[in-house]
Amino acid sequence: MMRILPGLVCLLAAATSLSCNRAGGDSNAATARPVVALVLKTLNHPFFVDMRRGAQEAADRLGVTLQVQAAEREVDVEKQMQIVENLIQTGVRVLCITPSGSREILSALVKAKNANVPVIVVDTRLDAKAAADAGVRGETFIGSDNYEGGRLAGRHAVTVTGGKARIGILEGIAGHETADSRLRGFRDAVAGEPGMAIVASQPANWERDQGFNVFQNMLQAHPNIDTVFAASDLMALGAIEAIAAAGKTGKIRVIGFDALDDAKRAIDAGTMDASVAQFPYEMGKAAVESAVKVINGESLPADIMVKLEMVTKPTSGKAREGRQ
Amino acid sequence: MKARRFGTLIGLVVLCLVLWALTPFFLTVSNLLNIAEQTSINAIVAAGMTFVILSGGIDLSVGSIVALSGVVLGLSLHAGYSPLVALPVMIAAGVLAGATNGLLIDRGRLPPFIVTLGMMSIARGAALLITEGRPISGFEESFRALATARVGFVPAPVLIMATVYLVAHFVLTRTTFGRYVYAIGGNEDAARLSGVRIHLHKPAIYAVSGLTSALAAMILTARLNSAQPIAGTMYELDAIAATVIGGTSLMGGEGTLAGTLIGALIMGVLRNGLNLLGVSSFLQQIVIGGVIVGAVLVDTVLKRPRT
Repeated sequence: MMRILPGLVCLLAAATSLSCNRAGGDSNAATARPVVALVLKTLNHPFFVDMRRGAQEAADRLGVTLQVQAAEREVDVEKQMQIVENLIQTGVRVLCITPSGSREILSALVKAKNANVPVIVVDTRLDAKAAADAGVRGETFIGSDNYEGGRLAGRHAVTVTGGKARIGILEGIAGHETADSRLRGFRDAVAGEPGMAIVASQPANWERDQGFNVFQNMLQAHPNIDTVFAASDLMALGAIEAIAAAGKTGKIRVIGFDALDDAKRAIDAGTMDASVAQFPYEMGKAAVESAVKVINGESLPADIMVKLEMVTKPTSGKAREGRQ
Repeated sequence: MKARRFGTLIGLVVLCLVLWALTPFFLTVSNLLNIAEQTSINAIVAAGMTFVILSGGIDLSVGSIVALSGVVLGLSLHAGYSPLVALPVMIAAGVLAGATNGLLIDRGRLPPFIVTLGMMSIARGAALLITEGRPISGFEESFRALATARVGFVPAPVLIMATVYLVAHFVLTRTTFGRYVYAIGGNEDAARLSGVRIHLHKPAIYAVSGLTSALAAMILTARLNSAQPIAGTMYELDAIAATVIGGTSLMGGEGTLAGTLIGALIMGVLRNGLNLLGVSSFLQQIVIGGVIVGAVLVDTVLKRPRT
């Protein structure tokens, strides 16, 4: 066991020096600048990687130090709570957070409130009633309306199919606010159309490989599905592979959500029909800009809505340029 | 063996000293309590895991049992039962799942890896099934006190963790059951031939692991004010890591609970410290993985016969 010590010290030293390099600049200047924390659900999803880039851009421009932390897995509320507790210890000035659970994160936010750290909520709304009960109030909410995005996708489906389709849906994680809102939006948009039949709706938990498997199974049970709505692009991309494996490429219309780079390539290639674009880069930027306003004592609107856009083949090239 | 335990403790102390030198936020009372509180859940699961690993087995189902007993607790509380009823029901769920593991391993003569791998999926599925995949949120303050209350300045989860370790240490070192755990892990055939009732003790060992998983679920549910069917994923790996860093041999028969507690604290301190230093979450995983492998490497090197 004694021999573990040098290794431990080396690992820590390496990790520290690496992270310092990343932050850049000399440490004196860094400590004098106010620290804004951005706690993400995870960093292994392109959506949050984009959000982080937007936040970093704003932090560099506005002269604040940005600390980004994330749990390893998107649904790990307990780990997010630990991160919040630990960040409070370091005296961050403002906490920006994308909650892993709209209710579950409240216990952590109560701790931030007790430590007088203002909170900015990004991407996933807090549960309004539970937040009021816990006495937690975010300075502002920055995000796009997932329900509206779902409706956008639903209306698009009605238009391109001429109001007649047999639809399979790939849902996100059950009980997840984002998943529920997108699903409700889509269902509401197609509900009034008698020709739009939802023949199957199953969760694939936001994941690409599950999207593949679940849609493959769906096709077994309902070979005549002609339209897929996936509540995220990763699941949509999985479904596209399943469609290719079944030799049905081009026969089934796939509509996704998030407009990831991979999805835009699929739209250009014609294997995917459309995707709802959110602008995580803008969200990250707005989060840090709002945090600086909080530090300066300026007031913020209750909601800062970031636009949504339907990306289809004619628009995907344009959207890609517009992202930077 | 004494020297090795000492070594793990020195490892923890040096880790703390390094962090103290690197960041002013580390060595404060509030941060140390913070670490103890964050460590409590993993430490409690790891206590049960230590019993299992000492007996030469492995329990991969602890994370799923945390989820299952947590949602059983959440549903009971939401059905209007008082914690005095809901907590025993939760414990029964955990113990039952654990004992089922033990019975299948013992009577079915199946490898623990396979049985608990199956239970990992079954308990997770059951948790998702009875909740329809949705988290159960919002509990009375009286129940939440199990995670939020402080006795003096010590958070309640830390007291619960201390109690679990005191009781478990007593059971392991001062009762025949405890000695049999070591005996079964050291040499199961020899233990059987010398009259140890394996059929009784094996299920009991896995039931202990189910029990500690349920206790961890209690703290987790109170802490988050929510019982989630997806809670506890990967807890088995954290618990195994804490046990192994603490010097318990994966071959069984050798190890201590004190070591496991120190192992859990090393992981907790490491995670906390890396957060305080602002190390990226990807690097954190590399560092933690390095520590786990390093600890087992040392364990193996020390055990290699000297020539």
